Amino acid sequence: MLNYIIRRALQIPLVLFVLSLIIVGLMQLLSPQQRAAAFITSDKQIEHLDQIIEKYHLDEGFIVQYKLWAKEVLHGNLGFSRISKEPVTATVRKKLPASTELALSAFIPIVLMGIWLGTLAATHRDGLLDQVLRVVAIIGWSLPTFVVAIWLVAWVYGGLGWFGIGRLPNSLLIDLATGNFHPHTGMFTIDGILNGRLDVTWAALVRLVLPATALVIVVSAGIMRVMRSSMLDELGKDYVRTARAKGLPEGRVVYKHARRNALIPVITMAGPMLGRMIGGIVVIELIFNFPGLGEWAAKAALQLDMNTLLAFVLLIGLIMATVNLLVDIAYVVVDPRIRYE
Amino acid sequence: MSKGDVLKPKAERWYQSKRFKRFRRNPLAIAGVMILIFFATLAILAPALTADRMGRACLRDLHLGRTEAVTVLRNPLSGAFWRASFAPPKSCYHIPRKGYSPRPKAPSKKYPLGLASGGYDIYYGIVWGARTAFYIGILVVGIVLIIAITVGGLAGLFGGWLDNVLMRLVDIVYSIPSLVLAMVFASIFGRGLAKTMVAIALVAWPIYARMLRGNILLVKSQDYISAAHAVGTGNARLFFKHILPNSIGSVIILASLDIGAIVITASTLAFLGLGADVGYADWGQMISFARSWISNPGGEPLKYWFVWFWPSMAIALFVLGWNLLGDAVRDALDPRS
Repeated sequence: MLNYIIRRALQIPLVLFVLSLIIVGLMQLLSPQQRAAAFITSDKQIEHLDQIIEKYHLDEGFIVQYKLWAKEVLHGNLGFSRISKEPVTATVRKKLPASTELALSAFIPIVLMGIWLGTLAATHRDGLLDQVLRVVAIIGWSLPTFVVAIWLVAWVYGGLGWFGIGRLPNSLLIDLATGNFHPHTGMFTIDGILNGRLDVTWAALVRLVLPATALVIVVSAGIMRVMRSSMLDELGKDYVRTARAKGLPEGRVVYKHARRNALIPVITMAGPMLGRMIGGIVVIELIFNFPGLGEWAAKAALQLDMNTLLAFVLLIGLIMATVNLLVDIAYVVVDPRIRYE
Repeated sequence: MSKGDVLKPKAERWYQSKRFKRFRRNPLAIAGVMILIFFATLAILAPALTADRMGRACLRDLHLGRTEAVTVLRNPLSGAFWRASFAPPKSCYHIPRKGYSPRPKAPSKKYPLGLASGGYDIYYGIVWGARTAFYIGILVVGIVLIIAITVGGLAGLFGGWLDNVLMRLVDIVYSIPSLVLAMVFASIFGRGLAKTMVAIALVAWPIYARMLRGNILLVKSQDYISAAHAVGTGNARLFFKHILPNSIGSVIILASLDIGAIVITASTLAFLGLGADVGYADWGQMISFARSWISNPGGEPLKYWFVWFWPSMAIALFVLGWNLLGDAVRDALDPRS
């Protein structure tokens, strides 16, 4: 088992290597001038484009450029982000907590909703509730994230005036910038508690409601469907019949016996679910004016800010590979019958 | 009585099969098919439906005058009707504009769904956007299948280290959220419908390559392949005549049902500003026109609801149609049920 984990962990750098090869390779489609733009920080430098190209060997072949890029990255220098006008690593450090906060606030409702509705659908198999939930799941699955986000902004925020967009109200942001508020984690909900400013926590929570709801709507349908089919599998097994035969109440059979085992396949959904969440977060952050990594990357894509995009993809690759490894480990922990060689 | 009549049992047609019956009795499947028929009608009849509001460039390329267009394009007996329906000039995909005002205009008799910011006719965009959606979906599926056949075919046919390398590549591309990768590719390739489609295809192929590889391995182990091999069939003939036709069926079906997901990615890219050229009839882009009129513009909430409502409904319904159909087909094909 340990062997397996080590081997898998060693594959993560390989994944990042291949990803960077693909993207740096595709960047060769751009002209040297376009690539030089990544190094420009002020208008004056545009006149020195040729010198920049020469200095960073931007007109040379792929291998030379990849080596140069890799050398810098191995020294911890991921380049300069043209969008945020500072080194990429500095921006990631600033914006990662915002996106994490959003992801975490959506994660719990997504999992709970998915499991609860999946169980309901399975116990009412082919009944009215099951049919309704099935349609709801297909609709949820069919709605593009940006459509859901826009509907929420227009109807709930615009129409009803509820909740809010952005991370915090501007007045509060100015207040925090001038006062002595220590950003321990960068997540306003937690920092608010740590600093004894519950008003900040509350304001941040209120503004998380809409973006998190958008994520819940688009992501939880997938979990629900997996939960339903795995629950149906378990309910058809012999031990469930035995439990019923010895006279256990139906609630105990469903919730204590079948559901615990049915949860195992749901763990494998963590990877795809996170992928869907990340894709959703990019769009949601943009629409809700939520200054996180996704919004940063979406703006970078429009401006061809390659340093930012490359760093973003590598970060996502790292997160996804790590989560997939954790899922495999979790699998063994919850189900001792599974063994890896 | 001839010999054939006695020996051959009556062949079962596809529409008599149990699978098709199960599909036909599924109300969700019927709903999906109806939605798609609706959009297909919009798409095919787009020139006729919008004959009275076509842009100048489109009319020029159709060689029609403005008044002439309405009568000719709505007459199924005319040649121009069929030409415009099946091969309209590119310029017709650009939404005609009525003025350049940044402020949207409410629905009126002439513009039943209103004018978006920039004077774009929303009705025209919705109708021609249906064409764009089908176009994107079908073409991307085509490119995806080409990549999947190449990669999955090589991996399944030759096995060994090549299989190993290709499948690791599949794993890596598959592990990155498709929108993120498509966004980066689209950014590098630049704006334009064709470029966006390539970007999406480059992200969507892995799952089908893997599926095809699995099917090929299964087919390869069958006796008739060994028999074909034994009589000296060449590798290429073996692959294209025997292995591929027997392993690609389900891959083609499942990939084409993915059009919904492809249209989601495409419209999201367009919304982000990485799609077709500005003014192209594309639902995602039409929502991005609406960006600044969504939340409480000028203290009048929902005043400009029409700018985002119609295109977003169009996308949602179109994808829903594909997913309802896909769900039913997967159910019907599932050997367990």
